[in-house]
Amino acid sequence: MTKEPVPTAQGLERLVEALRVLPGVGPKSAQRMAYQLLQRDRAGADQLAVSLRHALDTVRHCAKCNNFTEGELCSLCESSRRDSTLLCIVETPADLAMVEQTSSYSGMYFVLMGRLSPLDGVGPRDIGLDRLLARATDGEVQEVILATNFTNEGEATAHYIAEMLRSRGIRVSRIARGVPLGGELEYVDAGTLSQALMERRAL
Amino acid sequence: MAQSRRRVEHEPAFVLHSYPYKETSLIIEAFSRRQGRTALLAKGARRPRSAMRGVLHAFQPLRLSWTGSGELNTLVGAEWEGGMPFLRGFGLMCGFYVNELILRLLPRDDAHEALFDAYAGSLARLGRGEPTAGVLRGFEKRLLAELGYAMLLDRDAASGAPIDPAMHYLYDPERGPLPVNGGAGGEMVVRGSTLLDLDRDEFASAETLHQSRGLMRALIGQRLHGQTLHTRSVLLELQDL
Ligand SMILES: [Zn+2]
Repeated sequence: MTKEPVPTAQGLERLVEALRVLPGVGPKSAQRMAYQLLQRDRAGADQLAVSLRHALDTVRHCAKCNNFTEGELCSLCESSRRDSTLLCIVETPADLAMVEQTSSYSGMYFVLMGRLSPLDGVGPRDIGLDRLLARATDGEVQEVILATNFTNEGEATAHYIAEMLRSRGIRVSRIARGVPLGGELEYVDAGTLSQALMERRAL
Repeated sequence: MAQSRRRVEHEPAFVLHSYPYKETSLIIEAFSRRQGRTALLAKGARRPRSAMRGVLHAFQPLRLSWTGSGELNTLVGAEWEGGMPFLRGFGLMCGFYVNELILRLLPRDDAHEALFDAYAGSLARLGRGEPTAGVLRGFEKRLLAELGYAMLLDRDAASGAPIDPAMHYLYDPERGPLPVNGGAGGEMVVRGSTLLDLDRDEFASAETLHQSRGLMRALIGQRLHGQTLHTRSVLLELQDL
């Protein structure tokens, strides 16, 4: 006995397939999202479609810092109040936002949009190290501050950027790490505490 | 068909690699002493306040506990064992390379206790800043042996005669060293002294360093059936910086 095929709409299938580009979205969640958009929230779906198209047409990478922007340069790179001799290197726009929130840094940035990840085949070309090199050697920058994550991948990234820039005579520093502010040793994880011990400083 | 759910407690292990999974979780590729290579689901490990976050760090000895007996087990505990220096700089890249060798070549769920100990020893040596070539060649040799391709390094595979340090040999991956005339013939042709040095883990000679690197690369390349290692191509790109 042959079963009657389940009726489908091609547009629905394409939407489900397209939604799977989102991180962490498998076939099941993609289907749920598609039903939600087409059945329960068509106005929201329309807005999503329009803003996605708009973002794709207008958002690009800042020519100086590589962060997302709509113009040639982002507002931060265009600002005259920033110290243009300092360049802080972060992995993501979210990291840049965090450093900005501290209000204790007034220099410029470069956003890698990733990190070296040798096991995933992510190399220097994928994170624009050639563009970083051009930016860091443009004559304005005097010190580069490496604020990549304290993961093995972030450390490897920091190491190679440091090598690349030091060999060209640029001063390079790495943000310090250790026990969090207000952190009681009893509740700090062992990895952090062991790093803090190794990187202790004289008083 | 339903296998009983197993529980593994405080197993000495290393994180080889991890991948984001869903919104807040991680899939950990772990290498444990008595259970071998295992995939573990670390639920909620990417949450900002996750207690596992600062612990699930590659190249550091951990004690892991998990349940399940399928393809993907569930991590229920991770403790920091400590005492291992952190890998830095080129040593860190070598660590990634060693991890990729294990991920690509070691089948899952096969215990390899001797290899586990050799791995831990290699990381400690890399962490102390020992010359990387010796550490890597030693580990590669160990890995091949664990996979069933132990190298014959002290005798001629055809005659059984001791290796002559001055002669040249073609290393046949199936049989071992076979004497040849002259040193031409690619990475598989090396001098006898290289084989003897590799056997004794002595890497003082520049020729040994060079030849053993090429030989091991060719032998490992055979086990990879022509696939290229990600870590190797990233390293090549980095050399051009
Ligand atoms: Zn900018």
